[in-house]
Amino acid sequence: MINIKDLEKIYRTEEVETIALNKLTLEVKEGEFVAIMGPSGCGKSTLLNILGLLDDPDSGSFIFNNIEVAHFNERKRADLRKHNIGFVFQSFNLIDELTVFENVELPLIYTGVKAAERKKKVEEVLDKVQIMHRRNHYPQQLSGGQQQRVAVARAVVNNPKLILADEPTGNLDSSNGNEVMQLLTELNEQGTTIVMVTHSEHDARYSHRIIRMLDGQTVTQNILI
Amino acid sequence: MIKNYIKIAWRNLKRNKAYAMINITGLSLSMACGLLIFTLVSYHFSFDDFHPGRDRIYRIVTEIHNENISHTPGVPPPFAKAFRRDFTFADKTARAVTFGNELISIPSSPDNKKFVEESGVACVEPDFFDIFNFPLVQGDKKTALSAAQSALVTEHIAKKYFGTVNAIGKVIRVDNKTDFTITGILQDIPLNTDRKSEIYVSDLSMKDLSEQVANDNAWGDISSETHCFIRLKPGIGPATVEAAFDGMKKKYYANRPGSQKALVFKLQPLSDVHFNPDYNGYADKKYLWALALIGVFLIVTACVNFINLATAQAINRSREVGIRKVLGSLRSQLFWQFIVETALITLFALVVAFGLAQLGLPFINSLFKTELTLHLLGNQLLLLCMLLVFLFVVFLSGSYPGLVLSGFQPVLALKGKLSQKNLGGFSLRRLLVVAQFAISQILIIGTIVIASQMHYSKTSDLGFRKDGIVLLPVPISDSAGRTRMETLRNRLASVSGVENVSFCSQAPASDANNKMDITFGNRPKPELWSVNIKCSDQDYLKVFNLKLAAGRNLSRSDTLREFLVNETFVKKLNLSSPEEVINKTATINGKKALIVGVVRDFYNYSFRDEVDPVALFSSYPQYQQCAIQCSLLHAKPALASFEKIWNETYPEYVYSFQFLDQAIARFYELDDIMLQLI
Repeated sequence: MINIKDLEKIYRTEEVETIALNKLTLEVKEGEFVAIMGPSGCGKSTLLNILGLLDDPDSGSFIFNNIEVAHFNERKRADLRKHNIGFVFQSFNLIDELTVFENVELPLIYTGVKAAERKKKVEEVLDKVQIMHRRNHYPQQLSGGQQQRVAVARAVVNNPKLILADEPTGNLDSSNGNEVMQLLTELNEQGTTIVMVTHSEHDARYSHRIIRMLDGQTVTQNILI
Repeated sequence: MIKNYIKIAWRNLKRNKAYAMINITGLSLSMACGLLIFTLVSYHFSFDDFHPGRDRIYRIVTEIHNENISHTPGVPPPFAKAFRRDFTFADKTARAVTFGNELISIPSSPDNKKFVEESGVACVEPDFFDIFNFPLVQGDKKTALSAAQSALVTEHIAKKYFGTVNAIGKVIRVDNKTDFTITGILQDIPLNTDRKSEIYVSDLSMKDLSEQVANDNAWGDISSETHCFIRLKPGIGPATVEAAFDGMKKKYYANRPGSQKALVFKLQPLSDVHFNPDYNGYADKKYLWALALIGVFLIVTACVNFINLATAQAINRSREVGIRKVLGSLRSQLFWQFIVETALITLFALVVAFGLAQLGLPFINSLFKTELTLHLLGNQLLLLCMLLVFLFVVFLSGSYPGLVLSGFQPVLALKGKLSQKNLGGFSLRRLLVVAQFAISQILIIGTIVIASQMHYSKTSDLGFRKDGIVLLPVPISDSAGRTRMETLRNRLASVSGVENVSFCSQAPASDANNKMDITFGNRPKPELWSVNIKCSDQDYLKVFNLKLAAGRNLSRSDTLREFLVNETFVKKLNLSSPEEVINKTATINGKKALIVGVVRDFYNYSFRDEVDPVALFSSYPQYQQCAIQCSLLHAKPALASFEKIWNETYPEYVYSFQFLDQAIARFYELDDIMLQLI
């Protein structure tokens, strides 16, 4: 599903040049659950942003579903993103002014799904993450674990092929963290490819494969199953 | 999608109440001003736009080419008749002569009711009602004024004079002299016309109202109230008509080569009548455009304010922008989201503005003496204006913050790593703030300039006394009135506090000015300039504290025996000292007399106008005012005595009085209006 070759990303300021990704090469197969680990500043988040088409690389090739997307313009990237990729962030990133239902509904609005179908899909997914009873609440009225479940619901409501999770349990206690990891595992078992950046060895063990990064390169790969 | 935009906009406003309040207040205040200004400006632009074939309607006006070019909206009295007889350019031609402030009495009423009609009585030819669209509710416009002594009045006047009784066939008396029978009732005259008269009488009775105007040979008299209106036949342009006036002048001014050269008759389009200050137009377009510009300035300033506030708090919205972008929102979708938000604020502001404008309307109406209304229903122009203002404000204020916000990089936005640089930098916002300050300063400086000018006009020395002078009208000044004038003078002089009393045609500074030709001494030709004449008795100098520069005051006389002139008069004659004119003769308007004195210059109109050459002389038939110099300490009881004495002297007329300083303040009315408005 993801095929990356010699990917480079360099951040330049007037004085310093920081190489975030250094000729990185990586492959993720459809249905895989991959964890990316490494110390702060090794390029994990940059890689995730490029995979999520939120950022573009300076050079190298990025093939997503057999299409070269490295140099897509903003409109094409947005289009590909909204149909194929779901995001789960450490800080949940829910919109405070929208209710649980409305937050989850948002990706469907951007993909142009009709209101009746949206309602059906949102309710289904809220049921799945067991947050249906909180559908009319605002994010600040929920606990961290509940907020992350809403974020997961939002990430999957469009049935994306790929979920990118950036330290999804970073702001949660262990019991809520485990619940979220369980949810991701279930999604993976249903066929969704998951790429997760994490600092937690515990969470990483939910994945099939751990990629360790250092200085913008992959250094080791541990296959867990 | 749009529902989602509105929902989030509404919730954002609820959450940021202070931000919403500041924006709504700022925008609504400026839009309220904008609406009021629009109502006022569109009112003026709607003047006389309801007459069919208005593009073909013209008023014939006169330019007088002497040393300078002066203008008058009037023509000689026989002009309309001659035009109709000599030319076939127009399908309708009408003379209309307005007599202002006429006294109307109702002879049939038991208490002899009296009214002074400020809008006057118009003596018109029947074609007038074919040119202008003033429909009759009773009577036939074709025949209503075809007989002498017939009159048309508006419904308002009919009700005022006769209550609910049918006014047709009733008699009104004009100026205690001439009776007119009402033959038709006009629908009330709309506010947006310069034809203000509510009483129209037949032109066949002109002789009873003014022998001078009725004189078919009076080609030398041009009064600003003697108008000639024409409606040209389709296809005929004003230039064709104006070209034909040369022949007309040769015919009627054959033995007056000076006038033939000096007078230029022109066609003034009806659409110009309300605006042209040269011809006493009420609303100079310059001022209207300035007003409109102020309105636009105010709205732009409020928009700039909005842009600054919205951009400054954009950082708070960055996370939402980042999330929406991650979820697949396009930049354009985000842009429209912010536009909808701005539209919501603007809509609230517009509703508030409409309410504020309604509250402010009475102030505008009293300031401009109008009766404007703000009704949305049926006023398509106002609706269109509000829609345009709404769209203008929404896009002007919403686009920049919308562009900035929607342009955020999602990764930076989500992580909260945006800086001022991402908000479009300081330069544009600085520019906006500078623009905002500049606009405010222009308005403030404008206010200060006008205020200081007003202060100067009100406090500076005009060259004569203006405080503590009361002006009373002198309704009859013929030989019978002469005796009453003397009675009035003697009785007024005995009132406690009265220092001096003088009869005159007008005060030293007045907006009623008469100019006449002058020939000095034995010079063979009249001068190229004309002299402003003021008729006054021997006490005029004392009442107005005018100083003599040479010679002596006028001696007591009823008729023209000698002249007093001013210093400008001497200068215009190219003489070096005032003494040089003393005991020389001058011929003014065909009357020859000795110049006995020179008075120091005084402003004979406002500061804006140059001092005219002036000649003062005695001539009681021309006295229209009685000027009383009285001590301000005794003003209140004195005024009561004036009224009593005047009413006893002229029981058949209506009393009124005026303080000279207030009359002078009226010259600066427009400045005062602008000042209050800003």
